[in-house]
Amino acid sequence: MSQRNVNMSEEKEYAFVIEGKMALPYQYYAGAIGSKFICALRDEKKILGVRCDACGMTFIPPRQTCERCFADLTEKWVELEPTGIVTGFTVIRYREPYQPKDPPYVLALIQLDGADTPIAHILECGGPNEAKMGMKVKAVFADTPANSMLDISHFEAVRL
Amino acid sequence: MSRTKTDQELIVSRQVLSIPQRFATGPVMGRFLMELRDNKRIMANKCPQCGRHLVPPREVCAICRVEATEWEELGPEGYVTDFDIVYYASPDPLTGETRDVPYVLCWVNLDRTQGESPLWHLLHAPDLAQVRSGLRVRAVFADERTGSMEDIKYFEIIDGACNAGILPA
Repeated sequence: MSQRNVNMSEEKEYAFVIEGKMALPYQYYAGAIGSKFICALRDEKKILGVRCDACGMTFIPPRQTCERCFADLTEKWVELEPTGIVTGFTVIRYREPYQPKDPPYVLALIQLDGADTPIAHILECGGPNEAKMGMKVKAVFADTPANSMLDISHFEAVRL
Repeated sequence: MSRTKTDQELIVSRQVLSIPQRFATGPVMGRFLMELRDNKRIMANKCPQCGRHLVPPREVCAICRVEATEWEELGPEGYVTDFDIVYYASPDPLTGETRDVPYVLCWVNLDRTQGESPLWHLLHAPDLAQVRSGLRVRAVFADERTGSMEDIKYFEIIDGACNAGILPA
């Protein structure tokens, strides 16, 4: 490998930084199942899942088809408790304009009581170092409609 | 699954996801962009071994694997080697705005280029029937230049001139 023969002052003279952005328009269709889930969160503060009786699994977010046996779950709604436990978490420490809130904050996987799959959501537990596996948590619903998963504002730790 | 119509509310989320970016040009691309911005010149660097031009410039000739340190100005005229007429109204990733269609993308081999090294850009073509390989074109520079590829606004067609005869087979 030959030595680089570009002189350093020349490199400095020409190198610069371009600020840019990438704008990606998109449309997300929640579909019949997803819309019912979001409307129940928003209008009734109810968390709905679907249950596959054959597999004994309760899924949230709800889906039309059982991922194991492909059974149709369209009419298999069940209401879940707004409480659950933390099965995983991460602490977000960097700032980025499109995050749901300012860092640091905790994003957790939460398995609701009665569900067999976890959902990811914001966890308020008194600071980024306070999150624990197995922690009991409770959903706090948003005051203003978000028409999304953020109709649950966040989960908060339940002090026993 | 039932296919009967319902009065159910269906949720659609429309958003523009905007991701801020910083592009560090490095000295080679930086020199190319700076020359566009400050001097309206299209600069290429040249492989000292095989003599071909690299445009946009690269640090290293990918064939000879040696640094390309010599700089020369190319164009601003050249000829179209290939083109695409685009009818699909895709969003511009820099703004999120939908582009006006149809528009023409072209590959321009600039005058004095050693070897085949066409530059990819927009072709301003009021009459699409006019567009063909071999067209003589000229770079038109933007009035306000920021150090980006868009400092060349587009290539414009030089009336009546065509290089078709010299195109490689």
